[in-house]
Amino acid sequence: MTVLYLYPVWVRLWHWGNALLFVVLIASGVSLHYAGAKPWLVPFDTAVMVHNAAGILLTLAWLGFIAGNLLTGNGRHYRIRWRGLIERTLAQTRYYAYGIFRAEPHPFHASETSKFNTLQQLSYLGAMYGLMPLLILSGWGFLFSFSLPETLFGLGSLWVVATTHVVVSYLLVLFVVIHLYVITTGASVFANLRAMVSGWHREPDRS
Amino acid sequence: MSKPLQWLLAIVVVSGPVSAAATGGDATAASDAESRRCLRCHAMETLGYRDPATGEILRLSVDPQQFGHSSHGELGCGDCHGRDYRRYPHPEVALTDALSCLGCHREEPQAADYDLEQIDAEFAASVHAGGDWESGSEALTCHDCHDPHAFRPVEVGEPLAAIVARHNRVCRSCHVDPDLGDADLTTRSLSIGPARQVPGAGPHAWLPHPQAHWEAVRCIDCHTPALGGAEHRILPAAQAARRCVECHSRSARLLNDLYDYRSEEELARRGWLAKAVFNEAYIVGMSRNPALDRLSLFVLAVVILLLGAHGLGRYLASRAQRRKR
Repeated sequence: MTVLYLYPVWVRLWHWGNALLFVVLIASGVSLHYAGAKPWLVPFDTAVMVHNAAGILLTLAWLGFIAGNLLTGNGRHYRIRWRGLIERTLAQTRYYAYGIFRAEPHPFHASETSKFNTLQQLSYLGAMYGLMPLLILSGWGFLFSFSLPETLFGLGSLWVVATTHVVVSYLLVLFVVIHLYVITTGASVFANLRAMVSGWHREPDRS
Repeated sequence: MSKPLQWLLAIVVVSGPVSAAATGGDATAASDAESRRCLRCHAMETLGYRDPATGEILRLSVDPQQFGHSSHGELGCGDCHGRDYRRYPHPEVALTDALSCLGCHREEPQAADYDLEQIDAEFAASVHAGGDWESGSEALTCHDCHDPHAFRPVEVGEPLAAIVARHNRVCRSCHVDPDLGDADLTTRSLSIGPARQVPGAGPHAWLPHPQAHWEAVRCIDCHTPALGGAEHRILPAAQAARRCVECHSRSARLLNDLYDYRSEEELARRGWLAKAVFNEAYIVGMSRNPALDRLSLFVLAVVILLLGAHGLGRYLASRAQRRKR
């Protein structure tokens, strides 16, 4: 059994705080987006306040995450190793599409220098460094749209801001759904979930 | 004595005391001696006369408090009303003393902020410029909507609801609608016939949540062209905005303007943090796009199905392998 301490306290606190904020933001965001359409949605006024407050906290959490990655060793997990990237991506994709059904061994094994497999790393990079800044900027753009120029890329700036926010939100919901499923593909169904609670990654030795 | 002068002298003083401010207490409104003399009568709330032609009571009172806070609050009465009004009884010739807004406003430094020629052109194309409207009276003048004794421009920081209510009071002083909660339909029903004077049959009966709209948007937001901010070109009722998406969609220009104004006003009033949390400016439906929503929900459903199928495949495969062992 290989046991590695991969998730320090700050990463776990950030992760679960982020998870909670995502739940709150999705519930209130859906209520705002579809306001008046369904009786079970959060009341509009409450949803506005909750969504904005959670959005501000998410901004702070994201800034904390970026600062943590810059100041601690956690940032190295997000640095792409270009050598063999395509081969590793293909191997990981093949495993999820085929090998996982044949009980083949995982093609990737976490280490202290590299805790994410290539597909994980690329999707986390895309979500945290691509979609999250767009989500946060468009969220703040919504609140302070009068400070933006009247048009962006030839389109009304409020339209650009609103569309970006909605599209990015949908993509992040997709990310969360896939993330929730993929964490069950560890050594056992709950192994990865437990690791994010305790901080310790446990993996049976390769035989 | 000629007829006009007879009306003028047929002052109707029904009741009501002269307010303290009227007797010269107000600091800004018409504080010169001459204006105080005017206000001795004109500050009486019930000062007016009955127009023998129409039978309508025309008010002649000025609220000194309101006047003091108006755009003209620093002027004296004599600055606009000519010398003929200095004498009492006012001579007949005073009636012909027409006031011209542009006479002053064209020359003032702030005039650069307003394109007066543009306003003139907009007004000329407005329904209010026509002489054939239902009451039979002539075209409106600036004063009919912009009461020179009370009008003041919007200031950033003033609560939106108060601005909307103040604007809409101007329109609703002539136009009434039972769906708005107007009970007195007999004296001010310029735009609607008797058949439409019952709740649910008024001109706005089609509008969902009428009260919410009237508290949040100005009449002119729908009753003027959405493009270019032509606020003085009041459209005929049939041309007013009726499509919900003209406001409740992201691409609407009207929505853009309204949202930005509401945001800016709220920022000035509450500060950025409270504005960021409460954001009163948000308008229902502004982020909605039916095609995008359908596509996104479809993709989400497909992904969930695929993941479910993948999970089921994993479970069946692992069961088969366990059996094999």
